[in-house]
Amino acid sequence: MDTPPVVTLRFNKFLPYWAVFQTDLRQTARSWVYRLWVIMTVFAAGAFLLYRVGLHQEAGMVQSAAVQCGDLFRLMVVGGLALVVVLAVSAVGGERGTLADSILSRGISRYQYFLAKWHARLVVVVSTFAVLAAGILVAGYFLFKSDAESDLTLTGGLAAVLAVAAALCVIVTWGVVIGSLTNGPVLGITVFWLVLYGVGFLLTLMPEPWPSPDRELARLKFVLRGQFNELVLANLVIASVLLSAAAGALGVVGFSKSDV
Amino acid sequence: MAGDSTELIVETAHLTKIYQNRQIALNDVSLTIEPGCVLGLLGPNGAGKTTFLRLILGLHRPTAGWAKVFGKVMHPNAADLRRRVGYIPTNPQFPKGMTPITYLDYIARLFGLPADVRKPKLATLIRAVDLLAHSGHSLSHFTPGMTARLAVAASLINEPDLLIWDEPTHGLDIEARRSMLELIKRLAADKTLILSSHNLSDVDEVCNHACVLNKGQMIFHGSLQDLKGRIRKNHYELDLDGEQKAITKVVGVLRALKDFTQVQLRHRRLEVKLGEETPNAALLAQMFQVLAEHKVTLITVRSVGMQTEQAYLDLVEKEEQRGFARLYAEAA
Repeated sequence: MDTPPVVTLRFNKFLPYWAVFQTDLRQTARSWVYRLWVIMTVFAAGAFLLYRVGLHQEAGMVQSAAVQCGDLFRLMVVGGLALVVVLAVSAVGGERGTLADSILSRGISRYQYFLAKWHARLVVVVSTFAVLAAGILVAGYFLFKSDAESDLTLTGGLAAVLAVAAALCVIVTWGVVIGSLTNGPVLGITVFWLVLYGVGFLLTLMPEPWPSPDRELARLKFVLRGQFNELVLANLVIASVLLSAAAGALGVVGFSKSDV
Repeated sequence: MAGDSTELIVETAHLTKIYQNRQIALNDVSLTIEPGCVLGLLGPNGAGKTTFLRLILGLHRPTAGWAKVFGKVMHPNAADLRRRVGYIPTNPQFPKGMTPITYLDYIARLFGLPADVRKPKLATLIRAVDLLAHSGHSLSHFTPGMTARLAVAASLINEPDLLIWDEPTHGLDIEARRSMLELIKRLAADKTLILSSHNLSDVDEVCNHACVLNKGQMIFHGSLQDLKGRIRKNHYELDLDGEQKAITKVVGVLRALKDFTQVQLRHRRLEVKLGEETPNAALLAQMFQVLAEHKVTLITVRSVGMQTEQAYLDLVEKEEQRGFARLYAEAA
């Protein structure tokens, strides 16, 4: 009797990572939290800019594009932070239980799953912020161009976006890590909100040498004018990369040892 | 099968899971599952069935002991071991906004299957589980039967050697349940299966081995025949035909015999319980002799209750009654 042919399936080791990464990008873009964040930011920025343009045109008040864009960046970060936290914490935390069962019971390691989720949320949040910020800068440049000359600079705009994106990277990473280590997304979101807003508030009470988020955000208008120290910016980016990497390592190890 | 045919498919030793030092979900479970075995995992709610399955899938980490699958210790990062396992959770959940095609493609990519392998495979499976007409529909509108069929397809996409199905007939209508059981029988020909179920008739029909859990403790592990062999075969029902007077006389004669502990007549159905001292074959021969002497015709005779169900209930009941004697459990 002929022996049946042995069918050996071929496996691509990195395909599970890409599958989770791509699916998470799509799922996040479809989520109501993401849509709310984008719509809220667009409407708030539009209303803010129209108001300032109205002041400029009707009352004849001189408006600095850098100041307007700096204020808008500040509003974007402070206003959108709560939703960014929800997006980050729910990346892994929101799938705990039966949905995670359906995914983690397949040929994917916890490392790959965590990394894919983390990277997908980073890409979504940072790229969305970058696109929105670019839109605000372009709108600010053209709307307030009729003043003597626009005080926005290209390098300043890039530096400001880079600085805020670096801070968002740290926030998203820690959010994903907290979501993967806590038992439920609600607990994770609450804890992270308390920590972020609590520490932010305490730092505003501290004297000048302490880095208060509010003071740093208020300085964005100077950065947008091109008045920034490249070394300080580089240090900020390096520090955020190190903090994110440390959090990521903690998340990978912690998640691979936890029950889902 | 991909591996060595003599290797154990699953092996656990002292497998224990305690959740947050509050709940003992599984207590010291040691068992082996050989290739070709169709194991029915039985137990009441909260017995630890799903915990056991999650431990051998690496979704949970054991508090003590270990679980080996295909001869290697299972852990959360053992993706290579899970590539040889097909799993259906109790209530399969699907990511939002997917269709059967996108879902199966996603699952196949999670197994690392390249496009030239996974695309033909998912098309074949969608056809096989009769979802061709719904292949472009959103999963959010699927009925429980369609969901179950899709979960079956997802569990088979990687051509697994071991199938772990947690209550696969849960929530299915009669027709869907029947075709699920037929599928299990067909798959049992060349795969090893672990089926968790509340439905003992399902287990009775498709499994050749059983494992009974109760409150986290394994109280039986062996062949289904062994499980059935534990019950007392002494309770029968007979449907009779003939004159009512003759049947009443038969009842009187049987009641007079000492080994017939209970004889009851309801219309023309006779229910008898036999004593354990005398072999049941001898007592049944005696009963048939009485029927013949009184010219009563026997239409049907059957053993009362489903054997597996009776054996299972007997086991659970005995376990409950053991109390502190559990501390001095007999060596296996």
